Amino acid sequence: MVKKPSKKRLIDRQEFWGFLFICPWLIGFLIFTVGPMISSLVLSLYKYDLANAKFVGFENYRRLCTEDPLFWKSLKNTALYALLTVPLGIFGSLLVALLLNQPVKGVRLFRTLFYLPSMVPAVASALVWQWVFNADNGILNQALAFIGLPNIEWLQNEKFTLYAFVIMSLWGIGGQRMIIFLAGLQGIPESYYEAARLDGAGTLAQFRHITLPCLSPVMFFNLVLGLVGAFQVFTSAYIMTSGGPNNASLFYSLYIFRNGFEYFKLGKASAMAWILFAILLGFTLIQFALSKKWVHYEGEAK
Amino acid sequence: MNVHRLCIALITLFACGCSTELGAGKINIRYMAWGNPEQMALEEQLCEKFNLENPDIHVKFLKVPGTAYLNKSIVMLASDTAADVMRVDHYNFANLQKKGFFLDLTDLTKADPDWNESDFFPQTIDECKVNGHVYGLNVLFGGTVIYYNKTMMARAGVEDPYVSWSKGRWNYDRFVDIATKLTKKDGNGKYIQFGTAIPVFPSWTPMLYGFGGDFLNSSHTKSALSDPAAVAGLQFISDLRYKYACAPTLAQSSNSAFTFESGKLGMSFDWMGMTPRYRKAVKDFEWDVVPIPTGPVSGQTIVKGNQLVIPSHCKNPKAAWRFARFITSAKIEQLLYVKNRRCFPTRIEVASSKEFSDGTLPPSQIHTFIGAVQGGKQLPIDNRWAEWTTAMNNELDLLWNGREKNAKVVADRATKVIDKVLTEEPGW
Repeated sequence: MVKKPSKKRLIDRQEFWGFLFICPWLIGFLIFTVGPMISSLVLSLYKYDLANAKFVGFENYRRLCTEDPLFWKSLKNTALYALLTVPLGIFGSLLVALLLNQPVKGVRLFRTLFYLPSMVPAVASALVWQWVFNADNGILNQALAFIGLPNIEWLQNEKFTLYAFVIMSLWGIGGQRMIIFLAGLQGIPESYYEAARLDGAGTLAQFRHITLPCLSPVMFFNLVLGLVGAFQVFTSAYIMTSGGPNNASLFYSLYIFRNGFEYFKLGKASAMAWILFAILLGFTLIQFALSKKWVHYEGEAK
Repeated sequence: MNVHRLCIALITLFACGCSTELGAGKINIRYMAWGNPEQMALEEQLCEKFNLENPDIHVKFLKVPGTAYLNKSIVMLASDTAADVMRVDHYNFANLQKKGFFLDLTDLTKADPDWNESDFFPQTIDECKVNGHVYGLNVLFGGTVIYYNKTMMARAGVEDPYVSWSKGRWNYDRFVDIATKLTKKDGNGKYIQFGTAIPVFPSWTPMLYGFGGDFLNSSHTKSALSDPAAVAGLQFISDLRYKYACAPTLAQSSNSAFTFESGKLGMSFDWMGMTPRYRKAVKDFEWDVVPIPTGPVSGQTIVKGNQLVIPSHCKNPKAAWRFARFITSAKIEQLLYVKNRRCFPTRIEVASSKEFSDGTLPPSQIHTFIGAVQGGKQLPIDNRWAEWTTAMNNELDLLWNGREKNAKVVADRATKVIDKVLTEEPGW
C-alpha cells in the first residue's frame, strides 16, 4: 500500500509565518495605500465634491490639460524646482558625505551635527527659514549686504521665491541622502584605492575611477528618490507663502491640496494625483533605462 | 473557562465603551468647534453649564484644531457622522449649505416661543438665512474697527482719532495725515514705527467700500473690481505703502515686525474679537478703538460671524436646537461678549446693556462696536468664495508687493480671473 504524502499543516508552512509576521504592514498597506489609490483612480473619472458625484470619464484630465493655466504653472514650478534641487542636493550630499568620511578627530560629532537639521520637523524649519529670508533682518540678506549686494525680497518678490525654496532645500543635504552616500563610501574596499595608488593614480583619478563608479548604485537610488521627493514638495510652500506671490511658489502638490481640500474638487484633485503618478513613473522608467549606461553593480561585467 | 470569562468581560467593556447613553433617557449630543485656548476653555465651560442645567441632555465637546477644521467638518458631514451642533466659519457656510449638509431651522425657530427674530441684530440673522430660510444661529459676530495707540498719538502731538471722529472730520485724508506723522525712521534710515499697516484680506475691504467699490456686482455674477470706484479704493490701499510710505511693505512687515501689540504700529484695522488679545498683550501703552474713517462714499466696515448649524442627518435636532439656543441666549452672550469681550453680541438687548458699555478696561469707546455692526456690510461670501478670492488675491499680490503700482492694471487682471471662476460651471 502506497502511503499518501501527508499534507503539511498550515502552521508548519514557512510562508504562513512569513505572511503572519508581515500582516500588520500588509493590512495597513492594503487599507491605507492600495485602497485610496484605487478610490482616487475611480474618483478621477467623476466630478465629485463630497456631496454629489457624476461620472464624467476623462473630462477632468482633458480640462486640466487644456483649460487650467494653474495646472501648467504648478507643473512648471515643480519641474523647475526638481531640476535645480535634485542635482544640487545629490552633489551637496555627496560632498558632505565625502567630508564626513575623512578619518579626522571628532568625525562622529560632525556626522551628528550635519544630520541634526533633518530631525527638525518640516513646519518648524519652514518657520526658521522665514526668518532667514526676512528681507530686512534676515541672515541671508545680511550676508549679501556684507559683500555689497542689495537686499532681496526672497518671499515677497515672485522673481526670487522659487530660488528661495531651492536654497531652503539645501537644508536637507546632511540628511538621509548623505547617510546613504556615507554608507556607500564605507562599503568601497580600501584595496581598490591601494591598487590605484600603486599604479600612480592621484586623488581626483581615484575619485573619478573608483569612488564614482562604486557609488553609482547609491547615486541612482538617491536620484530616483530625490526626483520623487522634489515633485512632492508641499509643506514649506504651504507654510511660508501659501503658493504666492502671484502663484510663484504654487507647487503641484499644493495645487492638488487646494483643489481637493479647499475647493473640494475631489475628482480634479484625484486626476492631478494620477497625472503626477504617471509623470514620476515615466521619469523613473527613463532613469532605469539610462542607468544601464552609468550604474555599475559589484561583480557586473560591462 | 477563564478564556470564556475573559471574552465576556471584554465584550461587556467594549459595549460600555461604544454606548453613547450616559443614563436612562438621557440624550447625548456632540458639539464641535475650534478656536484659541481661551475660546476653547470658555466653550468647555458652556458645555458643562448646559449639562448641569439640562439633566435630560448631555453635550460632549469636540475640540478640533483650526487648521484641520474645515476638512474634518466636511468629511464628517459627507459621511453622516458630524456632531449634532457645529460651529462653522461664515466663509464656508454658503458652500456647505449649498451641498445640503445643514438642517433648515426655520420650523424649529417658529415652534420655539422664546426665539424671536426681532431680538437680534438683523445682520446676524441675514448671515444665517438662505432664500428666507434659517440654517444657523450666529455666534462670534463682529466687524472691523480701528485699534489705535493713544500713547503714540499723544507723543506725536496728533489729534486723537476719536476726537476727530467726534468732530465729524474722521476721513481718509486725516487718517493718512496722522499715519504719516506717526511713521518714524532711525538714524540709519530704517523704519522703526509705522502709522498704519495694510491688513490681510479681507480686513482691508472697508477701504474698498469707503471709496464706493466692491468685489462683485449685486447679483454676484461678475467682478466689480474694474469699476472706477473699486480701482480708486485699491489705489488708495496701495498708496498707503508706496506713495505715503506710512504702511510697511510686505518685506518690512514679514515675521510680524510691526504688530499693534508691539507698540510699533499707530493704527490697525482689525476685528472686534482682537480685544481680549490686546487686553492681555498690551502693557506699555494706552489704546482704544475708533470707527473706520469715512471715504469719499462711505465709512462702512465689514461684518461677519460664525454659525452654529445642525447637520441635516442629526438624529436629535430638538436637543441640538436647545443647545444652540443656550449658546445664543442672553445670559451666555453676557458671559462671552460682555465679560470676556470675545466678539460682539447678536442680541440687541445684550449690546444695549449697561455692562456692555462699560469701558473701565480698554477699549473705552464701546459704541464704536455697536455702530460698526449697525452700519456694517456683509462680504459677498457665496459657495465659490474660496475659489474666486484665491484667484483674485494672487493677482492683487502684484499691487501689494509693489511690482505694479497702477491699481487699474491689477484690477483688470483680477477681474479677468474672477469672471473666469464665476462663469465656469462649479466643481471643475
